[in-house]
Amino acid sequence: MRVSADQDLCVGSGKCVQTSGEVFDQGEEDGVVVVLQHTPSEQHHEAARRAAHGCPSAAISIIE
Amino acid sequence: MTMDTELPQLPFPRPNVLDIAPGYKPLRDRAPLVRVRTALGDDVWLATGYHICKQVFGDARLGRSHPDPGNAARVSASLMFGGPTGDFATEEQLHRTQRKVLTPAFSARRMRQLKDHVTELSASMLDELAQRRPPVDLHAHFSFPLPNTVICQLIGVPEPDRDSFRLWSGRFTSNDQADAAQAVGEMLGYTMGMVADRRKSPQDDLVSDLIAIAAAENLELLTDHEIADMALHLVFGGHESTVSRIDFGTLLLLRHPEQRKALVDDPSLVEQAVEEILRRSIPVDDLFPRYAREDFEIEGVTLRKGDCVLTSTSVANMDDRTFADPERFDIFRKPDASHASFGHGMHYCVGNALARIELQVVFSMLFQRFPTLELAVPFEELHIPIERRWIGGLDELPVTW
Repeated sequence: MRVSADQDLCVGSGKCVQTSGEVFDQGEEDGVVVVLQHTPSEQHHEAARRAAHGCPSAAISIIE
Repeated sequence: MTMDTELPQLPFPRPNVLDIAPGYKPLRDRAPLVRVRTALGDDVWLATGYHICKQVFGDARLGRSHPDPGNAARVSASLMFGGPTGDFATEEQLHRTQRKVLTPAFSARRMRQLKDHVTELSASMLDELAQRRPPVDLHAHFSFPLPNTVICQLIGVPEPDRDSFRLWSGRFTSNDQADAAQAVGEMLGYTMGMVADRRKSPQDDLVSDLIAIAAAENLELLTDHEIADMALHLVFGGHESTVSRIDFGTLLLLRHPEQRKALVDDPSLVEQAVEEILRRSIPVDDLFPRYAREDFEIEGVTLRKGDCVLTSTSVANMDDRTFADPERFDIFRKPDASHASFGHGMHYCVGNALARIELQVVFSMLFQRFPTLELAVPFEELHIPIERRWIGGLDELPVTW
C-alpha cells in the first residue's frame, strides 16, 4: 500500500487523523494533512482505507 | 421564476422529534434537484439525496452570500439560517483566511489533548446531577453546560459571562429578526470587548491566538471586528449543535435499550455509536441555502447567478440508496459512506474533532453513571419548540433513574 495526500485539496478537517492516527497527522502550524507512513504496515491498512474514503475533500490517495 | 402552484411547500411536517419528514423521499425518487417553495414563498431548488447534498456543500460555485441580498430567495426569516450571509465580493477570500487560522486551532491532535479535561468536566457534572432528586432536566444540567463550558474555555469567555451567551443564542436564532439582530449586536459588543482586552493583555485563549496570528501573518481581512465575529460564531456553533446531539443521542439510546446495553458492556463501541448518533439524529429540519456565484449547470439544471439551492445534512443521511434502512438506529452499522452531518468539502465543520471528542466522552460515561436512566415523560410529549424551529433541538429532556 502506498499512501499520499494532496495538501492543496486538504481542508484540514482532521478526519484522517481521527480515523488513522498512525498514518496521518496535521501540521502544527497550518492543520494541513501530513502523511506519517507512506507505506504503512498491514495492520494499518484498513484504517488508512477508511481515512481515504472518509476524507471530506478527497485529498487522500491510496494505491494498492 | 415559475408560478407553478403545485410546488411542494416547505417546511414538511415531521411525525415526531426523532424521525425525518416523510415529504423528502418521494422528491428524491424524482430527481437529485427538485423545485420547492420555501416557507416565505420563494421558489428554490432542493437537493434531495446524499450525493447531491454533498456536491452542493462542496461546490465552490455555490456560496453563502448573494450578489443582491435584498432580493435573494429565503428559507425563513431567521437571520442566521434563513438567507444569504456575508459579502459576495469577499466571501471566498475571507473563508480561506478563517479556515487558515482556525484549522490548526481545532486540529484533531489538539482536540485529543483536551479529552482528559472534557472527561473530568463531564464526570463532575454527572456527579452534581446524581445529587439532584429525579426527575431532572438533562438538557439544562448536562447536555447544555458541558459543550458550553468547553467552548467558552477555549475561546476565553469567563464563567460569569457564559450564561449571557445562552440567552443571546436563543434570541439570535429566533424568527424575530429585529430581536435577533439586537442580540447579535449585543453579542458582538461583548466579543469586541474581549478583542480589545486581549490586545492589551493576551491570555491563553483562542481570541488572543487569533489576534497574534492576524498580526504575525499580516492578514488584513482579519480585522478586530472580524475576530470578534468569529468568536461569536464559534461560541455559538461550538455548543448549540453538540448540545442537541447529546440530547438526541441520549434519546436514541433510551429508545433502543439493547444497543444501550451493548454500549455499556463494550465501551470500545463508543466511536461507532457516536457516528451513528451523528447520522441518525435530526435535531433540526436543516435546510442550508446556497447561492450560485455564476451561471452554471449541475445535474441537468441550469443555475443563474444568485439562484438558490437548498442542501441538507439530514436529507443526505436519510438517503436509502446510501444507507440501508436509513431510519433504523444501529450502532453496529458499517456504512460504506460517511454521514454528512458535518457538511462536506471546504465548509466541512472546523470543530468536528471537538464535537466528536465531547460526544465520545459523554456516551462513554452517561449510561455507566446512570444505569437505570429513563425518560421522565412519555416520548410523544417531547417536541421541538416552534420558536427553536430554525436551530432545532429540545428545550428540555426530563429524565429519571
